[in-house]
Amino acid sequence: MIDHETIGLLLKGVNAVTWQSLVMIGVSFVLMYLAIAKDYEPLLLLPIAAGCMLANLPLSPLMAEDGMLKVLYNMGITNELFPLLIFVGIGALTDFGPLLENPRLVLLGAAGQFGIFLTLILALLLGFTPNEAASIGIIGAIDGPTSIYVSGILAPHMLGPITVAAYSYMSLVPIILPPIIRLLTTKNERLIRMPYSSRKISRRTRIMFPIVVTVLVGTLVPFATPLIGMLMLGNLMKESGAVERLTKASAGEIANAVTLFLGLAIGSTMVGAEFLKTSTLAILVLGIIAFGVDAAAGVLFAKVLNWLSGGKVNPMIGAAGISAFPMAARVVQRVAQEEDFENFLLMHAMGANAAGQVASVVAGGVLLALMGAGG
Amino acid sequence: MRRYKLDISNRKFVIDVQELAADRFEVIVGDNTYEVSLSGDEDMSEATITPGLPVKASGTSTTATANALARVRNEPAPATNAETPAPPPAPRAAAGKKGALNAPMPGVILEVNVKAGDTVTRGQQVAILDAMKMHNVIGAPRAGTIAEVFVSVGQNVNHGDAIVSFTGD
Repeated sequence: MIDHETIGLLLKGVNAVTWQSLVMIGVSFVLMYLAIAKDYEPLLLLPIAAGCMLANLPLSPLMAEDGMLKVLYNMGITNELFPLLIFVGIGALTDFGPLLENPRLVLLGAAGQFGIFLTLILALLLGFTPNEAASIGIIGAIDGPTSIYVSGILAPHMLGPITVAAYSYMSLVPIILPPIIRLLTTKNERLIRMPYSSRKISRRTRIMFPIVVTVLVGTLVPFATPLIGMLMLGNLMKESGAVERLTKASAGEIANAVTLFLGLAIGSTMVGAEFLKTSTLAILVLGIIAFGVDAAAGVLFAKVLNWLSGGKVNPMIGAAGISAFPMAARVVQRVAQEEDFENFLLMHAMGANAAGQVASVVAGGVLLALMGAGG
Repeated sequence: MRRYKLDISNRKFVIDVQELAADRFEVIVGDNTYEVSLSGDEDMSEATITPGLPVKASGTSTTATANALARVRNEPAPATNAETPAPPPAPRAAAGKKGALNAPMPGVILEVNVKAGDTVTRGQQVAILDAMKMHNVIGAPRAGTIAEVFVSVGQNVNHGDAIVSFTGD
């Protein structure tokens, strides 16, 4: 006969449902909707949503000691393996040519990191610990892997919200950048044309670049070595042309597989009680402030460059000084063309954007150094 | 652009030389266009290219143009004393043309939306250029009639390569 105990065993799952897990499953549905219907970074948001849903199902075996999600988390998040592997792929896809053609754009990349440090201070004022504040600030770089890397070391308990913020804001670049650009520039500034300078970059320079940057940044900011080293390894493989199969695998198969693992593992950190805190909301808000200030600082700095150069720099390209390569540059080009269809800023914006990619990695390293990570 | 009118063995030639770079020229002779690169630049004796137009010894650009011209002029002229063979008429790389619509940056042509004879309005989409994996709409710089389309789908273009030209240029 069926007694109470048997019914209890059969309904164990149902009984273990908590309101927090239900809310988180709802959150996962929202993320799935954004990924599938709205096309917001679906490659990452869909696995994150799936990880979140699976981890919040009652008594999820995937989250048990040897459950798949736990294994993935231990395999690649705690030791930072996954974001670094993603960086090899990003390096293999990034063309630093526009930056090499116009090296002064590196300044815009540096300016595009200002928001990180401002947000850090804001977060400290709101009562976050220094490590947490630094992890929140790095969202401003709009660079998913760097955010995961830095917060994985400094504040692993906040990995979920920070990653979700970083990636969802990345997909909001086309929505957030244009108003910031329009607010801070005059129409005349937006109409400044920057002719393409067809300086030829020799193959030797292109190959030397990743090596020199690795040695230089690695020496100056040792904490950035893992990130910059992997980014530049990918770029070296691409530019050397010597290992086409490895380049292809890094930018394709490896990056794809790791993206799936990374998304699932990150999603699994979004467990009800841990995620549903006011601090999560604060992280999301601070993250968007960091992003906005980064972009604004880039634009304002580009205005200074424009003034110094006697009106030759369109301040809009400063907005591409954040990371989010190459989306930020494309958005800048789109805004430019909306006002003047004959204005092609793309190559200049790409240069600033590539600089922003490197600078955000360096900023991540600087943050880790400031927080004295790793001892 | 410099126009030379030559009379060689009682045949008249109109030669347009467009300076593309310090050592690259586009030379248009009749209906043919050649891209000429300057491999040497020697100061020859005060030659007169066009009556009344002395070659300035110091003016490198004039000298270079003259030399480029000297190299190409044998091609259309019926076998005079050909000292230098003319460069082969390379498949038209559509180097930049004045008044034409030129590629604003390097990339690959993804779409060509007009053909010769089409009337376009200013800003009308003429082609789509894929640069840095972004689709860039190339719009007509002015209203007019398309004289010639120099690119085809899938073609790589460099900065400044002509995409289309307009009649009356």
